[in-house]
Amino acid sequence: MATTITKPETLVGKRIRRREDPRLITGTATYVDDIKMPGMHYATIVRSPHAAARIRSINTKKAAAHKGVIAVFTGKDTQKVGPVPCGASLPGLRVPHHHILAMDRVYFAGHPVAVVVATDRYVAADAADLIEVDWDVLPAVADPEKALAKGAPAVHPEWPDNVAFNYHQEGGNVEKAFSEADVVVKQRITSQRLIPTAMETRGVVADWRPADRQLNLYSSTQIPHLMRTLVAQMLGLEENRLRVVAPEVGGGFGSKLNVYAEEALMGFVAMKIQQPVKWIESRRENFLCTIHGRGHVDHYEVAAKRDGTILGIKLHIIQDLGAYHQLLTPAIPTLSVLMMPGLYKTQNVRADIVGVFTNCVPTDAYRGAGRPEATHGIERMVDVLAAELKMDPAEIRLKNFVTKEQFPFPTATGLTYDSGDYAAPLKKALDIVDYQNLRNEQAQARKQGKLMGIGMSTYGEICAFGPSPATPAGGWESATVKIDPTGKVTVMTGASPHGQGEETTFAQIAADELGVNIDDILVLHGDTAVVQYGIGTFGSRSTAVGGTAVYFALQDLKAKIKKFGAMLLGSDDVSFSGGQVICNKTGKSKSIQEIAAASYRAMKLPPNTEPGLISTHFWEPPNFTFPFGAHIVVTDVDRDTGAVAVRRYVAVDDCGNILNPLIVDGQIHGGVAQGLGQALWEQAVYDDNGQLVTGELMDYAVPKAHMMPRIESDHTTTPTSVNPLGVKGVGEAGTIGCSPAVVNSVVDALAPLGVKHLDMPMTPETIWKLIARSKS
Amino acid sequence: MKIAGSYTVPFPPERAYEMMQDPDVLARSIPGCESLEKIGENEYRMKMKMVLASLSGAFEGKVRLADQKPPSSFRMVVEGSGKIGFVKGDGLLTLTPKDGGTEVAYDGDAQVGGTMAAVGQRLIDATAKMMIKRFFENLRSVEVSSR
Repeated sequence: MATTITKPETLVGKRIRRREDPRLITGTATYVDDIKMPGMHYATIVRSPHAAARIRSINTKKAAAHKGVIAVFTGKDTQKVGPVPCGASLPGLRVPHHHILAMDRVYFAGHPVAVVVATDRYVAADAADLIEVDWDVLPAVADPEKALAKGAPAVHPEWPDNVAFNYHQEGGNVEKAFSEADVVVKQRITSQRLIPTAMETRGVVADWRPADRQLNLYSSTQIPHLMRTLVAQMLGLEENRLRVVAPEVGGGFGSKLNVYAEEALMGFVAMKIQQPVKWIESRRENFLCTIHGRGHVDHYEVAAKRDGTILGIKLHIIQDLGAYHQLLTPAIPTLSVLMMPGLYKTQNVRADIVGVFTNCVPTDAYRGAGRPEATHGIERMVDVLAAELKMDPAEIRLKNFVTKEQFPFPTATGLTYDSGDYAAPLKKALDIVDYQNLRNEQAQARKQGKLMGIGMSTYGEICAFGPSPATPAGGWESATVKIDPTGKVTVMTGASPHGQGEETTFAQIAADELGVNIDDILVLHGDTAVVQYGIGTFGSRSTAVGGTAVYFALQDLKAKIKKFGAMLLGSDDVSFSGGQVICNKTGKSKSIQEIAAASYRAMKLPPNTEPGLISTHFWEPPNFTFPFGAHIVVTDVDRDTGAVAVRRYVAVDDCGNILNPLIVDGQIHGGVAQGLGQALWEQAVYDDNGQLVTGELMDYAVPKAHMMPRIESDHTTTPTSVNPLGVKGVGEAGTIGCSPAVVNSVVDALAPLGVKHLDMPMTPETIWKLIARSKS
Repeated sequence: MKIAGSYTVPFPPERAYEMMQDPDVLARSIPGCESLEKIGENEYRMKMKMVLASLSGAFEGKVRLADQKPPSSFRMVVEGSGKIGFVKGDGLLTLTPKDGGTEVAYDGDAQVGGTMAAVGQRLIDATAKMMIKRFFENLRSVEVSSR
């Protein structure tokens, strides 16, 4: 036996290339649409072209008679299927009954009214055109402020005021703070409707095995287990008879953190036709029918002293909910309220939300979910205040930050910020851009009539969702680690990664803890028949909560490995290192492979020890984590075209310990892309009749590669004490930090023209108009 | 969506007015019109082929003429729907003599929905203008050929 043990190189903290990438970049991954089954049928969904209408009648005869069509279903057929679930609860929340197919009325353009099932995808689409719906078109309202006005059309006739809920929260003494203020700044700030635009649209394959009484549902989802529980309820099927598989998922960004009508509908169809059925969402359907994000009209008031000390914040949110509540719709703006103080220590806040129904597709979680809106708001307001007081935006921030001695810091909104050093990333970012020189350069540029802007945001966010009492569906995560008799390791995570790279980071954790080669580790996820119950991937939680569950399962397993090693070595004085249990006295060792084989062969067992090497851990986090950072953006605005060019983008993020810098950079880049999209280009537009006029990628401008600036990404590291990995989460940071920095930068560029605020997206058209107006 | 503009045809208002009340002339002039069938007083059922950028499809709808004040004005109400969406339009056409011809001014509202609205938005305005222009051009050639 080898007695010299060289400790293998540790992997955590290294730029390990993503182990999932080869299959993704070679086109060999299996997405829902890649699934083929014998006898598989195809479904096309007939959708309302109207935003509001009564259905007088539906004639399905011609479609049903079309060659190749085997079934047509309408709302009458599916009315016993349970409603599309809303998992959020708020006091007094009005919840419309959300049938999977419309009954006698539709509430938004794209509302599903019938499904045609045929032997071929094209036949199904042709037959869907033969369905005749006799519509009684009703007036619609697509704008939340207009929906609140007197005499607006009622989205749901039973609630003519279009109000789904009112929510109020306050902390400290806001009235006192405002009465003591030297200055109060006010601003209306919008956060427009956005279309998440995952590269893979949604899709479902349902396969009913009557003999086994088993429904297999393949769906492009972020939450396979929650979907199993909820869809089983909708279909009246025992939960253990439903298997949900999330195969490769081509992006979610929150849009697949949901249970949609189509998932239950395909289950229903498969059970009716007793054959497998596939539905793949078209891009146009994706724009019309998958949830949108944001949809805020915010009214801010900030009270401050003349020296820049923020005394209090008032916020009134009008949240455009759309026509229904999807899984978390009404909960999203409440996250904005929790995050409203940002990184600042003010203890006096008051927030009111009015949730408004509109004849639009529902809004729900989209990258950041409530926190980008809040961060955008407070970070704009701090700049508005700085401008009012003629202070430097960096100085006013440094003055108001919670200081690093104050952690754990209780906020006015009831959170406890875990750890932080908020000045550190800002100072680092200021150094990177050489702030003082940059301001001098700007002063020179202005003399020459150039529009150059410097903008910053210092964001904080709520990550690692979260303690179960504070989440709608349990906030823990699960992991199972098993070691096979040959010593190969399988990690099964209840989180359902879909691009976040946990097949790599969780393997890094396991490789380091067990001292085995990373190639000996397989990470499985996304199949309810394989993986123990789990919650899923959203809210920057997978590594901080799911990774911690993996870590604890590994600790259990290591203890057991040591017991077996001690038995095999005949010594109680052993240690476990580098994949070997070593006798501290003799230096003799047993490898993990030998121990695994012995644990399954079980010729002899340590006292009170079961055979085999498997451990499952459900980890409940004691708190959220609160990453933070500073983004600085330098822009040049073209006076003639209104186009914004991002000259520099500096992101200094503190997400606690970093397991894999390559993956963290990727998350920052992707997040910034979506933040820039909101700041500069993207906007879902409905016309006054509730028609989505940005219905395809020709009209909805997601950033393309050539539109992206180079991102100078750097970090400070403030570990969290919430979990033993010290990680905070980074999935949404880029988006949250981005939009206010970009808007602050462009407002700064246009400040010489008297511009004090800009709403997003800051398209060349809007900016050109402002410049033109300032000339006249 | 507001639609307004004018077009001059080289024949007097009486003739222009009379032609625009004639279903046969309308059928030959409305771009893409495949049939126009009388279903009531001043009311017609129309089948047409609609083309909007990459979208095309059959439309079925109704055309109604109202508030007729010959030869100076009338209202045209169009309603149609098909695979690619729906259109509703309501416009006032005013005819005034101009240099021996007639200036036809139109002023109306159009509402477009369904796929056409979602994916053809950028082109709806231009397409509507083009269709109106073509309508008057067709009207003109029908008049010439009827001489």
